[in-house]
Amino acid sequence: MMPTRLYLSLGLALGFALASTTSFAHTPLCSCYDMGGGTVLCEGGFSDGSSAAGVDIRVVDGNDNVVLEGVMSEFSEFEFDKPQGDYMVVFDAGPGHAVEIDSDDIVE
Amino acid sequence: MKKTILVSALAALSAAGAAHAHFQLVYTPDVMLEKPADLDLKLVFGHPMENGHTMDMGQPKEFFVTFKGRKTDITNELKPITWQGAHSEAMAYEASYKVRRNGDYIFTLIPEPYMEGSEDIYIQQITKSYINKGAMPTGWNEPLGLPTEILPLNKPYQVFAGSTFTGQLLSEGKPAAGVECEIEYINTDIDMDGNAFDENNKGPVPDTAIVAMTDDNGMFTFGIPRPGVWGFACLGSGPEKEYQGKELSQDAVIWINATALQ
Repeated sequence: MMPTRLYLSLGLALGFALASTTSFAHTPLCSCYDMGGGTVLCEGGFSDGSSAAGVDIRVVDGNDNVVLEGVMSEFSEFEFDKPQGDYMVVFDAGPGHAVEIDSDDIVE
Repeated sequence: MKKTILVSALAALSAAGAAHAHFQLVYTPDVMLEKPADLDLKLVFGHPMENGHTMDMGQPKEFFVTFKGRKTDITNELKPITWQGAHSEAMAYEASYKVRRNGDYIFTLIPEPYMEGSEDIYIQQITKSYINKGAMPTGWNEPLGLPTEILPLNKPYQVFAGSTFTGQLLSEGKPAAGVECEIEYINTDIDMDGNAFDENNKGPVPDTAIVAMTDDNGMFTFGIPRPGVWGFACLGSGPEKEYQGKELSQDAVIWINATALQ
């Protein structure tokens, strides 16, 4: 039987996933910017101010195909060449801790 | 909260002396940003709770923003403006600043001392205002090494009405005990395009100044009674005591934004 504490953890994770615009303890945060010159820069972190270094990040196209994958740098950043067409950036800090950013929201 | 802090704050509230306080504003309307933005900042010296007399500012000595520990001088961004107060016009300043990356942006103004004729003293209010982008905290609770400053112990851009705000007053980096801190809120609408306070007040004006005294560790706590932009001015806590042969009150000012938790 699953311990109560694990149920609580799963519940909290679900709560965070449903409330991506607000911030709770250790909520993942990610913003991306069109840097001009054909590149996109994403910066990540957590709502308690901790670093996102080493966190997985990937870019998927309009058909959910992974275009590229990587990890956040020691400065909690990830820069990549801007794909053609629509795409989405997924900052993946684990189950219930992913931030998805649509290319329409990535502006200069 | 320590009972002693609460008791001293309440005692100070009921034993306040003077009427309404000078407050140096460093104001911009939106302090929690989701997306990159061009901030418009207004620097005005007035009596925000009374919505009273607005005073002329001299050319500021320093105006800078601190982001992730790095200080950027933006004094050259300042432009003089005429501010229309509810009852008087005054010299003020404005600036714009582009916020892009996530984190805390701390704007600090070190103004030219102001000669207050009625008290025959100079007043210099070293003022901090806080902006956050992207919900990422990156240093709101760190001191900036100012001659005197209020170190916030709650996020200054996200305080809730009905909760409390605690600050620690520092003078040359060390806690300043037994200092009187005056507390006000901006009690009028601000016309950013027209550079003006509305002539109508938004809320009540207490009979006497709201005051909290700092304890042995320089700390004070105040319960925020209503949403709004609240300022704290701790008086004479800076190391400089004289300017041009007259007494100088070198004060520490901080602004916080309180909203209703709904």
